[in-house]
Amino acid sequence: MTPEAVVFWAFAIVTVGSAAVVVLSRTLIYSAFALLFTFFGVAGLYVLLGADFLAATQLLIYVGGILVLLLFGVMLTHKIYDLDLRTETTQLASGLIVAAGLFVILAATALRTQWMSVPRTPAPTTEEIGRLFLGQYLLPFEAASVLLLVALLGAAMIVRRRRDA
Amino acid sequence: MIGLQHYLVLSAALFSLGILGLLTRRNAVNVLMAIELILNAANVNLVAFSRYATGNLGGQLFGVFVIVVAASEVAVALAIVLTLYRLRRTPNLDEADILKG
Amino acid sequence: MEELQRSLALFEPETVLAAGLLLVVVVDSIGAAWRNAAMRLLTLASLALALGLAFNLQASGAKAAIFSGMLVVDPLGAAFKVVLVAAGLLTVLAFTFRNSRELHGLGQGELMALVLALVLSSLLLAAANDMVMLYLALEMVSITSYVMVAYLKGDRMSNEASLKYVLFGAASTGTMLYGLSLLYGMTGTTSLPGVQEFLAGGVPEANRFAVYAVTLLVLAGFGFKIAAVPFHFWCPDVYQGAPTPVTALLSVLPKAAGLAIVLRFFYGTFSTPGTGPWDLAGSINWGALLMVVSVLTMTVGNVAALTQTNMKRLLAYSSIAHAGYLLMGVVALSDNGARGLLVYLAAYVFMNLGAFLVVTLVHLHDGSFDLRDYPGLYRRAPLLTLAMAFFLLSLVGIPPFIGFLGKLYVFAAVIDKGMGVYAVIAAANAAIAAYYYFRVLKVMTIDAGNEDKPPLKLAFADQAWLAAFALANLVPIFFWSGIESWARGALVLYAGR
Repeated sequence: MTPEAVVFWAFAIVTVGSAAVVVLSRTLIYSAFALLFTFFGVAGLYVLLGADFLAATQLLIYVGGILVLLLFGVMLTHKIYDLDLRTETTQLASGLIVAAGLFVILAATALRTQWMSVPRTPAPTTEEIGRLFLGQYLLPFEAASVLLLVALLGAAMIVRRRRDA
Repeated sequence: MIGLQHYLVLSAALFSLGILGLLTRRNAVNVLMAIELILNAANVNLVAFSRYATGNLGGQLFGVFVIVVAASEVAVALAIVLTLYRLRRTPNLDEADILKG
Repeated sequence: MEELQRSLALFEPETVLAAGLLLVVVVDSIGAAWRNAAMRLLTLASLALALGLAFNLQASGAKAAIFSGMLVVDPLGAAFKVVLVAAGLLTVLAFTFRNSRELHGLGQGELMALVLALVLSSLLLAAANDMVMLYLALEMVSITSYVMVAYLKGDRMSNEASLKYVLFGAASTGTMLYGLSLLYGMTGTTSLPGVQEFLAGGVPEANRFAVYAVTLLVLAGFGFKIAAVPFHFWCPDVYQGAPTPVTALLSVLPKAAGLAIVLRFFYGTFSTPGTGPWDLAGSINWGALLMVVSVLTMTVGNVAALTQTNMKRLLAYSSIAHAGYLLMGVVALSDNGARGLLVYLAAYVFMNLGAFLVVTLVHLHDGSFDLRDYPGLYRRAPLLTLAMAFFLLSLVGIPPFIGFLGKLYVFAAVIDKGMGVYAVIAAANAAIAAYYYFRVLKVMTIDAGNEDKPPLKLAFADQAWLAAFALANLVPIFFWSGIESWARGALVLYAGR
């Protein structure tokens, strides 16, 4: 096995394995920490795919922001439902069937379909992404800032104590 | 040789696990984690296509925007979860305010 | 640089709204006592100016792809923008913090800013020409809606409704994103016209299933936005839990923007360029799929509404059903269909806002959303009951009301295309729907009850708006030719980079 393959399989097993823990674990806090490993795994896959800027963004925002928020959510609300009991077997079983079926369909589609085949040799992406942000994708870039403003205002307003006009 | 198919099957697995979590979990924060799995699956798709299939950085750029959107969504969702938690813990809202000072 | 200037010239309504949004946020941070009035004025001014600019845009007949192909400007899009901004403006005008009991005492600045943000993102969604812009605008509309629904943070039902909304919405749009990623991999571009060119070049047999999968996945996100079956489950709870003015806005804006992008997406990506906008590329028969969705949506909506007693839930199911009728305009796959969609949406704005205004006012004075508390309103508030009668008859689709006009256009478009069975099913649905609309009217006018309650003293402004909406439902049919020429002038779709 080439080094690339070894690294890929390592990250793949970490990612999918911890994703399974996120979804199947009895304890909410284990799920949260498993999600941490999932995010790290995905970041590693990004590096392998030559997306260095995206990998750094993933770590900064997903792990450093979103996961921390989720952990806060878990810690502050852990009594809202009791310890997450495994759902009745019937529900889990039918969920598993649906998910397994979905996986088979999607994987089969992925393998059968003729995708485009213009590969890109991995190269540092930051500069080019920067150019695209201020060039072709300028409008989404600016719109995203409005989105963030609204989310910020909204989340702050929702959580704030009643002290209104 | 690791190729496009490997990544696509991996993201299909992540997506399916996310859907499983969506269907079977009852805790709101847990469902949110499942949704993050779905978003990450789509992102892996986008980046893999960027590398192997399309030759341009559109996929990676799309991925950055997805991360931005995910962050906003989680912030708003958790704000709502927190408020819901506050309301349920004591049925009387005024009392909860006094206790917190 | 020139491209940027050229783009900005065609981007005026959105620019005004964005500026208004920022100004409202700034004014809100000032602690002065006059800030509520100032923010309301700012919001109204921005919306009014944006409306004028959108009219201008439609009249100018501009057709271009702006911002490097991220957005597309064409008369049809401009017509949608007019409808969207008008809906926002009317909602802010008619529903105030004074006539909505739910909003009493809540902060005004955030809601004004959110309304502007919702209208702005709806405009972006209706004009999106690129996958990135599409996803971003869709999420902007969604996240703004989530926050608006959660506005009543002290109310448990409202919180539960908004939580359900967020989770359902995030899951649906995440699924749509997965579909978009597959589309990107197949076509190599995020630009929707680019996708169209690629698909028109022929879809190899091996890829056909993938295209179907993409359509289904993407429909998850679109279906959620317009509350079509099977992505409608959030609708009744959210409509019930949100403050009624927010419900009124949500029943119109995201739905209209969602339908605009459904029209554009399926036209822009799954049609054959050069042979006319409405020909399907290859043999992907997504028209049949949409027809099934439309039939399910109207049926589920109408049947579920039959037993509702909560007015907000009833109107929620009613709007689900209307999404089914609106989809007829898309399924018809023709100029007539697009025109029908536009006219029906415009009518729908007036019908729905009027109905929600009535519900808000009754709640203000009586404190109830329950239909069982509505008897005797004929005696206690004759103007309100008369207006509600207009709105209900319009929703049923009876002439001469504007709802009839909308249904006429979409039915005509569908029949023109030879889809007789479809039209019959839709007509049957409209008949079923008549039951619950008439039931509301019957309860308000004929049912005995509440004899001891005093008459409703409506504020002058409320009376004026009721009258205005009622007239808006009745009068337009006498200006049919005007509507016809407006709709016809709007029928130019531009699908280019």
